[in-house]
Amino acid sequence: MMLTTLASMAKPAPIDALIFGDRLPASETAAWTDGLFMMITWFSVFFFVLLMGLMLWFMFKYRRRPGVAPEPSPHHNTLLEIFWTVVPSSSMLVMFVLGFQGYAAKVVTADNALELRITGMKWSWIATYPNGGQSNETQPLSYNKETLDGVEVVTQGREYPIFYLPENTDVKLRMQSTDVIHSFWIPEFRTKRDVIPNRYTGFGIKTPKLTKYDSYIYRDKETGEETEMLGRDMWIFCAEYCGDEHSRMAATLRIVPQEIYEQKMAEWGVQLSPIETGEKIYNQICMSCHAIDGTKLVGPPWNSATLDGHEFGYGYDVTLEDGSTHPRDANYYRESILDPNAKIVAGYAPAMASYQGQLSDEQIDGLIAYIQSLSDRGPAPAEGEETEAGTDQAEEAAGSES
Amino acid sequence: MSTLDAHAGHHEEGSYLSGPPGIFSRVWQWMTTVDHKKIGVMYLFAVLFMFFVGGLAALFVRYELLDPIRDQIVQTVDANGDLVTTTTTTGESLKELFGGLTSDLTGTQIYNRTFTLHGAVMVFMFIVPSIPASLGNFFLPIMVGAKDVAFPRLNLLSWYVYVFGCIFGILSILMGGVDTGWTFYTPYSTTTDADHWRVVLMVAAAFVLGFSSILTGLNFVVTVHKLRAPGMGWFDMPLFIWAVYATSIIQVLATPVIGITLLLLIFERLMNIGIFDPAMGGDPVLYQHFFWFYSHPVVYVMILPAMGIMSELLAIHARKHIFGYRAIAFSSLGIAGVSFLVWGHHIFTAMGELAAILFSGLTFLVAIPTAIKVFNWIATLYKGSIVLNTPMCYALMFLFTFSIGGLTGLPLATLATDLHLHDSYYVVAHFHYVMMGGTVIAFMGGIHHWWPKMFGKMYNEPGALIGMALVFIGFNVTFFTQFFLGTQGMPRRYANYVDEFQTLHQISTYGSWILGLGFLVHLAVFIHSFFAGEKAPANPWGGLTLEWECESPPIEHNFHHEPIVKHGPYDFETTVPPHWDPADYPIHPDAGKGRH
Repeated sequence: MMLTTLASMAKPAPIDALIFGDRLPASETAAWTDGLFMMITWFSVFFFVLLMGLMLWFMFKYRRRPGVAPEPSPHHNTLLEIFWTVVPSSSMLVMFVLGFQGYAAKVVTADNALELRITGMKWSWIATYPNGGQSNETQPLSYNKETLDGVEVVTQGREYPIFYLPENTDVKLRMQSTDVIHSFWIPEFRTKRDVIPNRYTGFGIKTPKLTKYDSYIYRDKETGEETEMLGRDMWIFCAEYCGDEHSRMAATLRIVPQEIYEQKMAEWGVQLSPIETGEKIYNQICMSCHAIDGTKLVGPPWNSATLDGHEFGYGYDVTLEDGSTHPRDANYYRESILDPNAKIVAGYAPAMASYQGQLSDEQIDGLIAYIQSLSDRGPAPAEGEETEAGTDQAEEAAGSES
Repeated sequence: MSTLDAHAGHHEEGSYLSGPPGIFSRVWQWMTTVDHKKIGVMYLFAVLFMFFVGGLAALFVRYELLDPIRDQIVQTVDANGDLVTTTTTTGESLKELFGGLTSDLTGTQIYNRTFTLHGAVMVFMFIVPSIPASLGNFFLPIMVGAKDVAFPRLNLLSWYVYVFGCIFGILSILMGGVDTGWTFYTPYSTTTDADHWRVVLMVAAAFVLGFSSILTGLNFVVTVHKLRAPGMGWFDMPLFIWAVYATSIIQVLATPVIGITLLLLIFERLMNIGIFDPAMGGDPVLYQHFFWFYSHPVVYVMILPAMGIMSELLAIHARKHIFGYRAIAFSSLGIAGVSFLVWGHHIFTAMGELAAILFSGLTFLVAIPTAIKVFNWIATLYKGSIVLNTPMCYALMFLFTFSIGGLTGLPLATLATDLHLHDSYYVVAHFHYVMMGGTVIAFMGGIHHWWPKMFGKMYNEPGALIGMALVFIGFNVTFFTQFFLGTQGMPRRYANYVDEFQTLHQISTYGSWILGLGFLVHLAVFIHSFFAGEKAPANPWGGLTLEWECESPPIEHNFHHEPIVKHGPYDFETTVPPHWDPADYPIHPDAGKGRH
């Protein structure tokens, strides 16, 4: 069951709903492009119907009759041929010029725009705000809550980061990739641009003014409580094929009122503890390949767990492909981040790229602190801090050892 | 029949299909033949086999997309009132289908290998060689009135090079598959699967296949220039020859570029020379320019021969002189020329603004000759004598699907709309309407049209019409839905997708099953024809081009005497076709009066 929200009350016209889905264009430029697309489409429909109509009519009228010779007809007609060369040529000239205008509107950014830095990497997006802050919020792109036999069952996909932007603001995206080529696509703005290593690319968007129909559901991770908030959620997809988890390189763009945006900036701009730093990086980068609940993804899980007879987690020995073992200590993790192929865990493929030069020492320290906090053999938590590995998991791991 | 008997009495030559007794000597005869007809038939079976392999991969891709591959997190409350969270991966349809074969790969990895396999096989091993190397090889020399191509041994070599390339490709699949996409974009292709030879093998396969393409193209260019029969001027050539000639020019000029590019890619992988690697000062987008400088012209290598077949099918089965012969011939050459200037439209989202604008303008330029051809074909039907047999139905289907493919290209050439549609399912739908709705449909029409000539057997017409109808329905259900997926925001090459897209994906998958069934019906009709087909007359459709003067199947040297061309290829109004009785071929009393 999908939740009914206020947003679902602002519906596009039926023909637009068929072509563009329920997602209305997010900016004037996007709406203008939709208009151009529809203009070309109606132009095409007109000529397609005309040509197919003629074809069907000829098929019927001039069907073969035994013993009847076809009537002679001209083999060419210069006037007609000039006509049907000039008509498409001039129509296409119009399309070209309009397309150029819309393109200019999409790539040119306004002066004094808010600059958002986008980093693409296998297989996640990171947005860095002008104050250096980064989002640590996540939500799935699909979420269903239903009641089966009186029990509430929540089914959802993987969590993806949420990037906040204030409403009615010019935004400039400055994008770069740390590994292969990606492409940053926000379907509701009807535009995308490739994200390339060693080169900045980008485009400008004007975020929409929120109306009373724009709302999203804020879901509290702890209590599951849902609140309807003023704002608008949009998909962000990677459109350039980038490998195994290409189809899971997504994020949510959330347009919110200015004051909410400022509140988030104040929150995300502050200094984080090492574990919080690590957790943030995990949510941004590592989550697509490493689980923290003991499941087997592309890479090994980080918490203390037992999988296929092997132990995982900080403080437990790692079994390598050749059968040898090695302790999982801080240096092991540092090496695995900077030179992932040095020690390949048994049962896993060498799929990870090096993060040498991409993560600072501070961030690597944070990751190690976070990994430690997930293990029942990690250091004692700091005053007033909760370990991520709940007591349940610690017991499970201990139980499987015995 | 009288002419045939006369020839038979005159000469003791058997059909090209007859050979020495004994299975081994027959096989040896085929393996060492320099006869363009045998080589054409060997190509036909080879490319149809690769079409089967690529088609199977396509069905797997669609099967996987019935539901998204998803890490599903389910939260429920158990009997004690505690929250229970379980994570499972759902929708890994292919992983379940293949079972233990692929146990060390994840569902998305299998999907990525499957669509790469589909793309690489269909492009490099099927569609590029499809029409020119099979039907072109068989009919180009006959249609210009020659005994063989200009360099028969080179022709055989190109077949062996093709098979060699296919073996490379299949080997890399058997070694575990490649996940680069058929475009091999750097730096992904230079870094993925780094400790393995598979990617190098697949790239080498494409490199080797390029040589086969160059050799065939070269052979055809020389054949058309030097071996035309007496009386056949350039503008007396059938339009199929013009199309294959234009294709061959592109093959000879563009293929070396992809050869060099793929070689650089292999060097980059094996020796880290740093041409494309940004960490060493290289430029990853440079690869895309090199790649599309070949791969865009090659789109016309795929479609031009199909357009050539269209001109033949429509004229013969409507018994009408083709409308605007010179316009069609010159538009083939025009397309071949302009095709070298439009590669940038594949990279609008990765290139500078000025370049994007220039390439957008040039792209519209290439659309004009294509539009002219469609108008000419429809005008050809005017006042014709149209028979709705399988080749003609495929030709009319081509007009339908190819027009959709062409018209939906307009928003992709328009910059503002392309930024949204680029790399989405809209593009997937568009190029399938052009490549499959264009090339494959015309190829199917061509195979049926020339089947009696190639094998001397008729095919079962009702059976083939049923296959044709299933292909038409299945094709449109599969790919028309994908336009909507694209405009709604579904990116290409995704194994996982949001819930909103599932219904359209499912419809598309059901369509692919109908499409697959249609091709199975065709396969059955072909097999039936081989074993139980009626003997084909020399000129079943009343064609005027030279292949219809030969016997069905042709004798080893095609003609008993060197043919002399006395009428145009499309003079249906005034000429009784060879092997036809004038009593069976009505001619209009006004025919030939005041025409030019």
